[in-house]
Amino acid sequence: MSTKEEILSRYRRNMKVKGQYDMPDLDALNGIEYADAVSQFIAMSRTVGGEVVTLEPGADVNEVIRKAYPEAKVFASNVPGIAIAQRNPDTVESAQELNGTDVGIVQGDVGVAENGCIWVPQTMKERAVCFISEYLVILLSRNNIVSNMHQAYCRIRMTDYGYGCFISGPSKTADIAQALVMGAQAARGVTVILTD
Amino acid sequence: MSTLHSKAAQRFLETNKNARWHDDTFWVLRAKRDVMAHELDEWERLRDVACAIKRHTVTHLDRYLEQFVGNAERNGIHVHWAKDAEEFNQTVLSMLRKQGVKKMVKSKSMLTEECGMNPYLESHGIDVVETDLGERILQLMHKRPCHIVVPAVHITQEEVGHLFEEKLGSEKGNYDPTYLTYQARLSLRDEFMTAGAGMTGANFGVAETGDVVVCTNEGNADMSTSMPKLQIVAMGLEKIVPDYKSLAVFQRLLCRAATGQPTTSFTSHFRKARPGAEMHIILVDNGRTDIIGEPEHWETLKCIRCGSCMNTCPVYRRSGGYSYTYFIPGPIGINLGMLKDKVRYADNVSACTLCCSCDNVCPVKVNLSEQIYCWRQGLDSIGKADLVKKSMSLGMKYLFNHPQMYDTALKFAPITNHLPHVLMYNKLNGWGYGHEMPVFKKQPFHEIARNILKDEDKKGNI
Repeated sequence: MSTKEEILSRYRRNMKVKGQYDMPDLDALNGIEYADAVSQFIAMSRTVGGEVVTLEPGADVNEVIRKAYPEAKVFASNVPGIAIAQRNPDTVESAQELNGTDVGIVQGDVGVAENGCIWVPQTMKERAVCFISEYLVILLSRNNIVSNMHQAYCRIRMTDYGYGCFISGPSKTADIAQALVMGAQAARGVTVILTD
Repeated sequence: MSTLHSKAAQRFLETNKNARWHDDTFWVLRAKRDVMAHELDEWERLRDVACAIKRHTVTHLDRYLEQFVGNAERNGIHVHWAKDAEEFNQTVLSMLRKQGVKKMVKSKSMLTEECGMNPYLESHGIDVVETDLGERILQLMHKRPCHIVVPAVHITQEEVGHLFEEKLGSEKGNYDPTYLTYQARLSLRDEFMTAGAGMTGANFGVAETGDVVVCTNEGNADMSTSMPKLQIVAMGLEKIVPDYKSLAVFQRLLCRAATGQPTTSFTSHFRKARPGAEMHIILVDNGRTDIIGEPEHWETLKCIRCGSCMNTCPVYRRSGGYSYTYFIPGPIGINLGMLKDKVRYADNVSACTLCCSCDNVCPVKVNLSEQIYCWRQGLDSIGKADLVKKSMSLGMKYLFNHPQMYDTALKFAPITNHLPHVLMYNKLNGWGYGHEMPVFKKQPFHEIARNILKDEDKKGNI
């Protein structure tokens, strides 16, 4: 008998719990709804340590990124229209080559007002760009902001790469003396650029 | 009268100058959790639903496991099963050897602690690098976690400073948490760049899609798995949830309950290996299929390891994680320890005042204190009942069954109020050891009640 069969038959033998436990009706569960989900999203993004800027009509997103990170030299992105990127996570030989990136720029799909999460599906060969960069810029359409996670999980899609992450603000830790520090292992700061 | 826990707790309070800080720190986490809970009208409904989903899932686990594995395999993931810690450790080692891996980076996993994986791999020449900052600090200090979510909370910033001076070459005398965190970041960055394999635990496995979901604040699970050619997931059988709709419920509860944040910074969904890499999941039983057979304790399988029962527990807060003999402390650890080996870990069941606070904060409504009570009731049958307490209980039983003797005893009880301190507070009186004795009233309650009834009877009111 394989270990799998051994474990499953052991479970079936021992499963003597009395009573029938059915799945609850999750469609009946209503999460918090915000009258102005965009404002709530912006406020929550700041609470979790992120910055939010709005891309004004006619403005160049490259300029907005440069302005947000005036000292940055190395940019990495495969997002169309990001002309300032010298590195492309699709064409690098290995993920390690992305080390030393000052700012990574990625496209987010769905923003969540209740907790500042943004669904970032993998749309590049090396997803390391989302984590290895010192700072991360996430582009997000203001039309794709929902109130809560229930709505978000109904909307998110995986790409063929088979990886996606809800990112809410920068990497953080309070492991030393419970003092909150931004920038543990991944991005030290996050700027969300809201587009139309 | 004393268990290993109570002795260790006493030492903690006597020798640890940060005992008060420890208590306050965890109470802050509890208070932050309350703020989060009160912000959501649906909080209690979420807990009910989470409990119902978990009850359903762990009682239909075979079905969901098959579905999860089927989907994961269709996504190109290699799935392995391990019946115990030994098989798990061997599976990991053989995987690493096959790929010629010398160094593995990993994010926090209570399962690998449970299986003693790090010492096993290290004894076979593998360099295992913890990448959660708290876990890394403990690894460099050769200490074990004192909490499942904030494992190094008991280490002071000065201690971390000294450690990093020695191990990472940081500046002497710089104890600034921001500086120290940055030093760890630089050092761990090198480890991520050169590791041959990356391992994570799993907060959830989604049956419907085959996703493994990992929640971190540091992003270290993603750093650990974005560069190496080999990704390994260590996952307990009970981590399965049916679908994304269920996952939404737990994602909303987990971090709010754990640290009082609205979410972890990263909620990562791993469905396939990254290009050119391999992804393996090891499903570990190690006693879980026995827990489902325990009529009074199967609901511990619902636990999502948020640690909120520890944060709220008055005993945990005032005794610290190392006072418990099982590697997971606090209310859930007491129960999991007893399920692992009830003779070996029986000392921990005394670490509970039955205040039930843990039951009230648990996001999946595990009946933690009720279960601890059950374990205590069974101590005598495994030869672990305290002899002093046992004889005192027998004495009380006799007294309560003999009303006249009880009345007489109560009449003379107030005398003890005036006895010299040393006569009441010594090792012969278990009740006076470690706590204040009650002050006996001159007139006991039942006598007052009896007199009232007599008066009312005279007035013709009864």
